[in-house]
Amino acid sequence: MKLPPFEVHRPSSLHNASRLLRDMGSEAVPINGGTELLLAMKLGLAQYAHLVDLKRIPELRGVRRVGSGLAVGAGMTHRELESSRSIAEAVAEMPRMLAEIANVRVRSVGTIGGNLCFADPHSDPATFLSAIEATLVLGDGSTSRRVPVDEFFLGAYETKLEPGELLVEVTVPAVPTGTGAAHVRMKVHERPTVTVAAKVMVERDTIVRARLVVGSVCGTPVLPQAIDKLIGAPRAAWSERVREVAALSAAAVAPVADAEGSSRYKQALVEVFVRRALDAALSNAQGMTR
Amino acid sequence: MMTQLLEQPTKLSTAIGINVDRADARDKLAGSAEYTGDLHPPSMLFGAVLRSQYAHAEIESVDTSGAEAMDGVIAVLTGDDLMDLDPYYGHALRDRPIIAMGKVRFVGEPVAVVAAKSQAIAEAALSAIDVSYRVLPIAATLDRALAPGAPLVHEGPVRPGLAHGLGKLPEREGNICYRYGFSVGDMEAVFSRAAVVVDGEYVFPAVYQYSMETHTTVAHHRGREITIWSSCQHPFLVRQEISELFEVPLDDVRVIVPYLGGGFGSKSYTKMEPLAVAISRKAGLPVRIMNRVDESMVTTRRHNMKCRMRTAASAEGQLLGRVVEMWLDTGAYADNGPRVTATAGDAGPGPYRWEAVDVKAQCVYTNTSPAGSYRAFGATHLQWIGESQVDEVARRLGLDRVEIRRANLLARGGQVRPGAKGLDADLVGDVEEVAAALDWSAPRPSNRGVGLSVGLLAAGAHPVSMATVRLGADGGVTVLVGTTELGQGARTVMGQIAAEVLGLPPSRIVVRGTDTSYTPYDRSTGASRSTTVAGKAVEEAAAQVLEELIETAETTLGVARDELVVSEGRISGGGTAVTYEELIERRFGLKGGELIGQGHVGPRGGSGGFADGPVFWEVCVGGAEVEVEPETGVVTVLRISTVADVGRAINPLLVRRQDEGAVLQGIGNALFEEMRFSDEGLLLNDTLLDYRIPSFEDLPASMSCTIVENQDGPGPFGAKGCGEGAFAAMPAAIVNALADAGVQMTELPLTPERVWKKIQSQQGISKNHSTEEVDQ
Repeated sequence: MKLPPFEVHRPSSLHNASRLLRDMGSEAVPINGGTELLLAMKLGLAQYAHLVDLKRIPELRGVRRVGSGLAVGAGMTHRELESSRSIAEAVAEMPRMLAEIANVRVRSVGTIGGNLCFADPHSDPATFLSAIEATLVLGDGSTSRRVPVDEFFLGAYETKLEPGELLVEVTVPAVPTGTGAAHVRMKVHERPTVTVAAKVMVERDTIVRARLVVGSVCGTPVLPQAIDKLIGAPRAAWSERVREVAALSAAAVAPVADAEGSSRYKQALVEVFVRRALDAALSNAQGMTR
Repeated sequence: MMTQLLEQPTKLSTAIGINVDRADARDKLAGSAEYTGDLHPPSMLFGAVLRSQYAHAEIESVDTSGAEAMDGVIAVLTGDDLMDLDPYYGHALRDRPIIAMGKVRFVGEPVAVVAAKSQAIAEAALSAIDVSYRVLPIAATLDRALAPGAPLVHEGPVRPGLAHGLGKLPEREGNICYRYGFSVGDMEAVFSRAAVVVDGEYVFPAVYQYSMETHTTVAHHRGREITIWSSCQHPFLVRQEISELFEVPLDDVRVIVPYLGGGFGSKSYTKMEPLAVAISRKAGLPVRIMNRVDESMVTTRRHNMKCRMRTAASAEGQLLGRVVEMWLDTGAYADNGPRVTATAGDAGPGPYRWEAVDVKAQCVYTNTSPAGSYRAFGATHLQWIGESQVDEVARRLGLDRVEIRRANLLARGGQVRPGAKGLDADLVGDVEEVAAALDWSAPRPSNRGVGLSVGLLAAGAHPVSMATVRLGADGGVTVLVGTTELGQGARTVMGQIAAEVLGLPPSRIVVRGTDTSYTPYDRSTGASRSTTVAGKAVEEAAAQVLEELIETAETTLGVARDELVVSEGRISGGGTAVTYEELIERRFGLKGGELIGQGHVGPRGGSGGFADGPVFWEVCVGGAEVEVEPETGVVTVLRISTVADVGRAINPLLVRRQDEGAVLQGIGNALFEEMRFSDEGLLLNDTLLDYRIPSFEDLPASMSCTIVENQDGPGPFGAKGCGEGAFAAMPAAIVNALADAGVQMTELPLTPERVWKKIQSQQGISKNHSTEEVDQ
């Protein structure tokens, strides 16, 4: 459990970073906060001779307004985003989600981009950003493409990033009035045992759109189909439908058993936390504080 | 001498009973306090340890040539280097080799040590060592170790350690390391007339005694002298063990102890010191061995245990008899396992007036990392079991749980165990304090509950401590006492005791760390003994100095001693006051010299209070209010109350801090701490990511600590120790509170999943299950 030796490269542009990574191939890995990567290296789970430090790349920094939403630099730390006023204004639930990640020391170093690219199955941002339909901008300094967050993850620790490609920006759409987002989670150890995020749009006391993401229990975030049962539900039926969706979602996921719990227990948690997430999202949609 | 002094009409100062600032606070907050890892004697080398990846294997060969050929590698140690010694140590049983001698018995056992010019070189050299193992059958769990035909962890004769204190040693018997037990009364008769019998099987986890500083030792074996700087709690026992192991006279072994970053028992007795001395002996230079967290986790841990207990009571709620049998897993080496086992056995009955008690405690070897001391050992293992059965008796009989304790608890002077000192505390009063602090009878929602628990811990260890107090020519005082400052505030408290006796402000007292070459003997820092035993020695030493001052004042002032007043560094009488500086000058005829006092505490002689064991019974009492979320199994501790029954609080704030720290560790032990070993003996959660320690986010919203001062302790000013009792009380209080909220648990820790499963199974069976087990 000792960090093996490695060489650090510090490019100051996206283009150079991308070139370095492409040139060195599987010998190299990008690093930002290092809160997950260095730990994996200490534990001998990952070995790289070259670390490409992204902290000096200006394109990865800052939070910009884009229309009603935001473009968040992938190199922003959880702590910076947690205390960003523009994020709080655009997506009220997001700072609360960020504030629950690990502990303040990790949040002060770890970045949103690092969290997503590492693709640890136990991730709050992956779950939440999928639910609010955030999009990722991937690029290498010359070309770029957009990928919805929920399509970004191919499996545990696996993403759609091509060799030399970097996550540049997270496009976060605003959550408008009448739409409610919520993120609920539980943890036993350092990482979450279960994370559930939801977004619902309510018009004239009827649910017109609903999105649900269950995270941290499978290799990647899962979007249960059962959420469609909420669409068109009048207010009087919400409570019953939410419970129905919760039960169906739990039945549909096949959680991975690990140190956080057995598959059966996690399934029971999914039912509980789907219910809580939807209740909270509906409550938020109505402008109620929860 | 003390009684004579107390008759003096001297008006002593008020240095005790007040919250004197910690003597070490400034250094520690400024980062200037030195720990062993900060030290760097000239030419010091860095050690790295190659550890076994097998739980049980014969070592066929070790090839160190590749490592030895590396630049910067000075020496590589293996078992072959120790053939000229009897390399086995262990204060209880001499069963542990300094380094694997042809065989490994747990994953993580040291097989080779590299000493190199840098830590990086030493680490790199480890991978250049080739070890060939022949894997043996493994007994990594209690069940496997106790099964017929189990692989034997140890063979050959049982050898007593230098501080075994275990009476006559039996012949080796399977994987049993030690047996303890006692039996009183006619159990059959008692059970035959019982109206209620509670019977259960219980499981207690292996736990890591996390401290911020890992085990760290710098050793220098030079010629026939050995100097050791180490993060150790018991420097004098380390000195003795090193002296025997390396066949060097006691005086030629010097153990120096800087500040410790926490100990909690994990640094008691001998840990990394023999290995550090052995590699230094080979390298000829000082070598540092500083464990990583994962290495400290396999250096020592708390015993996991399984237990069966039966409690019998009359229809009126009189506790009649208890039968308890327990098996404690001490891992591959005894370490302090026998003592832990005996203390667990003593805690088995609980502090009640039984007609019959039968205790059988077994300490068992397995192929896992060795287990030793951890704050409130034994008591923590058993109290939650015994107290949950007392609660269950009350529930079945419809009695209040405080009432059943009031009716059955031992009174002052009552017999705790055959042959031991009678009870020296007011347990009923303590329980009532706890209950009141929890609003015991207040109505609560069905998923909330309250629980309390009470128990006793034999405290004080062996009561042998010496101290020296030196009053210098400028009126300043140096206290030399072998107590280790491991964060508990020992140096502050020792200073307060000396200040109180000498009528000086505590700021005039300096308490040094231990250097066995100069500091007088102290048996150990543990078992809540320091204030009581070492503090008594400091009090006596200070009193000797005061006596010399008074003698000098009598002649100087020409006033009889019964007309003298001692206050704030001066003695006055007959209208004149003289300072201590002036008295020293008068006595020696120059501005120099010093007055030296010696204090001696032992089981016999000067200190009658220490003649019977234990030194005192530490009261383990506390309560909790918890809330359980049935759909997730999450248990939240809402409120805690503890009672520190300390006789006299020398520093009340430090007493509270002790209880708070013990509470937090107790919560961790109760709710989530658990070392998980695979069937092959591999520790699966050896990082602090996967092994969760308590942090501030686990603090209950409300904590209260009531300090009880009945001045009934054998220590200075009626004090007795504290700081462990609340630990033992916590898991028990939490388990009982959770049962009050409807979930009866028999396995710790109370992880959400474990609690959830229990709730699921309770929902699946008929509600009257608790009456099915009632006899008659």
